[in-house]
Amino acid sequence: MNAFRKTAHRIAPLILSVGLIFTAPAAGFAKDLLTVNLVNEPATLDPHQQWNPDSYYVYRNIFDNMLTRDNAGEIVPQIATGWSQDSDTEITFDLREDIVFHDGEKLTAEDVVYSIERITDPDFASPQLGQFNKIIKAEALGDFKVKLTTDGPYPALLAQLIKLSIVPEHVASSVTSEEFNAAPVGSGPYKFVKWDRGVEVTVEKNDGYWGDKGPFETVSFKGVPDASTRMANLQAGTADLVVTLNADLAQQLESSGRGVVKNVNTERVAYFAMNSTKAPLDDMELRKAIGYAIDREGIVEGLLGGYPKVVDQMLSPAHFGWKDGMTGFTYDPEKAKEIIAGLGDDAKVEMALATSPVFDQRVVQAIQQMLTEVGLNASIEIVDMATWLKDQQTSNDQAPLLTFSRWSCACQDPDGIMYPLLHSSSAWSRFSDPKIDALLDAARGELDLEKRAALYAEINGLAVEKAAILPLYQAAIIYGASDKLEWQPTSNESMFLNRMGWSE
Amino acid sequence: MTSFLLRRLGQSLVALFGVMTLVFFIQRLTGDPTYLLVPETATQEDIEAMRHALGLDRPLFVQYVDFFRDTLSLDFGKSFIQNVPVTTIIASRLPYTLELAAGALLVAVVIGVPLGLLLALAQKKFWTNGLMGIVLAAQSMPTFWSGILMILLFGVSLGWLPPSGSGSFAHLIMPSIALGLLSMATYARIMRSSVLDELSKDYIRSARARGVKTRRLVIRHLLRNSAIPVISITALEISQLLAGAVIVETVFAWPGLGLLTVQSVVSRDFVVVQGVVLLGALVTILMNFLADILYSFVDPRIRLDGTGG
Repeated sequence: MNAFRKTAHRIAPLILSVGLIFTAPAAGFAKDLLTVNLVNEPATLDPHQQWNPDSYYVYRNIFDNMLTRDNAGEIVPQIATGWSQDSDTEITFDLREDIVFHDGEKLTAEDVVYSIERITDPDFASPQLGQFNKIIKAEALGDFKVKLTTDGPYPALLAQLIKLSIVPEHVASSVTSEEFNAAPVGSGPYKFVKWDRGVEVTVEKNDGYWGDKGPFETVSFKGVPDASTRMANLQAGTADLVVTLNADLAQQLESSGRGVVKNVNTERVAYFAMNSTKAPLDDMELRKAIGYAIDREGIVEGLLGGYPKVVDQMLSPAHFGWKDGMTGFTYDPEKAKEIIAGLGDDAKVEMALATSPVFDQRVVQAIQQMLTEVGLNASIEIVDMATWLKDQQTSNDQAPLLTFSRWSCACQDPDGIMYPLLHSSSAWSRFSDPKIDALLDAARGELDLEKRAALYAEINGLAVEKAAILPLYQAAIIYGASDKLEWQPTSNESMFLNRMGWSE
Repeated sequence: MTSFLLRRLGQSLVALFGVMTLVFFIQRLTGDPTYLLVPETATQEDIEAMRHALGLDRPLFVQYVDFFRDTLSLDFGKSFIQNVPVTTIIASRLPYTLELAAGALLVAVVIGVPLGLLLALAQKKFWTNGLMGIVLAAQSMPTFWSGILMILLFGVSLGWLPPSGSGSFAHLIMPSIALGLLSMATYARIMRSSVLDELSKDYIRSARARGVKTRRLVIRHLLRNSAIPVISITALEISQLLAGAVIVETVFAWPGLGLLTVQSVVSRDFVVVQGVVLLGALVTILMNFLADILYSFVDPRIRLDGTGG
């Protein structure tokens, strides 16, 4: 026992310094390997499951979608080569006949029908259900022809189908969603190779792809949560493309000369919502005063590096229905003070400004300061994102008085942003006006595009007139990239590898 | 020994029960993850359907009982976000956390213990104040700051080490130092006071009087007796390292449990958080237990059955 104690005594320090576990060194940086830094690893690679940028940056390269948008933002064919509106509720699509899944099977109309039925099956519980549940029927009219039926006229259908990835029926129907997620099979320009959980997802070029092939043999997507670390990786050359930098980092990157900034204005619109169903904001004059009090140019130039674009409608130039030349509230604090002085004590009520750490707190604080300067009393109430979302999707009576937020429907269609934020039936809307409701309903079902655009312009005009909601700016997304990477980021926050290039 | 083991087992079970109950209810006080999972345009029906699919529409007490029943049958559930069993996710992250904890502990012990010894033996020298200053600086520097400084210096400017990520020994160096420095300071301070304590004891004076050489004195007598607090600190430090790893892993994009915890807490992935916390509690309990057993080997005066001493 004594000898044992002695041994134990000697090895005690060794136990403390548990040996390091050595792992094989990483492969050296090669030209044909592109390394992308995302914020987090994908949540899923099953395109019908969770839907967030970190996931679709990756899986949109593994799968083909029904339609896509070109770099200019126009809807163009992908799997569907053409379509015809048969009636108000029926539309027929012709499909490409030369698409082959990564396992060698042909993509047919049955796969399209299966994909739509899968994503709209309530038991499958896809988070994307609400984007596709207007489709009530999908039928194959031949090997490469599909007819879709909607529950009413639905002009946003094409914009939604851009997000519909087609999965192979013969694979997806014979495995669980979990198994499909672990080994996704698509028909896109890149094939899934490996998902080293928590570390990286690797994809390789699909040499048999029907369309433009990717320029890189292999692409690795890694999750790097800290923006400064992502930028350091880019500057050190261990990453070639990194997502989501802020304006300060972008400036540092530009001046460092190690990498370039690639930015694009997205379809995400920042807005300031006022609960017009409750005192004191039920007074239109007070809402207008808030409109005059907020210095949007100041926010964009002073805080956001000048990247976003100030907008005067609840749309961005990336949306269908954007109309040049519309005007809104111009910054005029004197006018705001005048109105507020006229309203007397009614305007002095403390108003909660709801926010969550997800939003840029500098912008929230700047808005609060601007409101204080014109004599209003707004107090910031910060809660976690889940609670913030719950508080927003509630009755007008319980909802906060003031909200700063940014909205994207990822469809570039006005219905996806204006209906939820302005229609009185929506849980998000803090505004109620029968005329705007009627116009929104009419525009939602209007298949004549010109008439539809005119309806949205009318709604936007009314929204300014009644100070229904205050559009602030079209948000920008800033990427950092190697100066050798040729790539034009797009408004729909996608990252198509086969639209990139590399110059030595 | 047996009664000691039984008593500790009982205490551990009570602690685990408490931890599980706390993590279950605290998380559910912080918001409903359903809203984070559905698109903003989801209707109330979509939200209800998702809540049902996640099982969050059941009464809270039923969820609580089910949680215990499932845990006892070793079913830890599936991640809300990734739809993958928690055990798979944790198993993929655990090796990284162990690597990092081992690396950090090595940094802490290899630097901290000799430093503490040196500070104690060379007590009244003028340069010890400087060294003590370094120790304090290491302890008070926030790791998110020291981490990013190291990345910029060694990763970007000098290009000696990969700035972040995992995959090779070189990747492990900076995170280990960033994390280890905190514990290093603790080791140095504990070692210093422990050695000073021993130095004032009679046996050291007698040994000196007998002409035992300093080198032999330190190695044979002093180190052995000063080691006890160091061992008990190690048990605590391992839990500390797991907590500190939350920040270091985020800064260095090190794919361990700390990063997983942050991501899961932010996305309200209750099931994953429960799994990680349960594992953390088990590790802490086990480490404390091991430390108790190690004492008895190093210092025979400490008896585990409580009858000695």
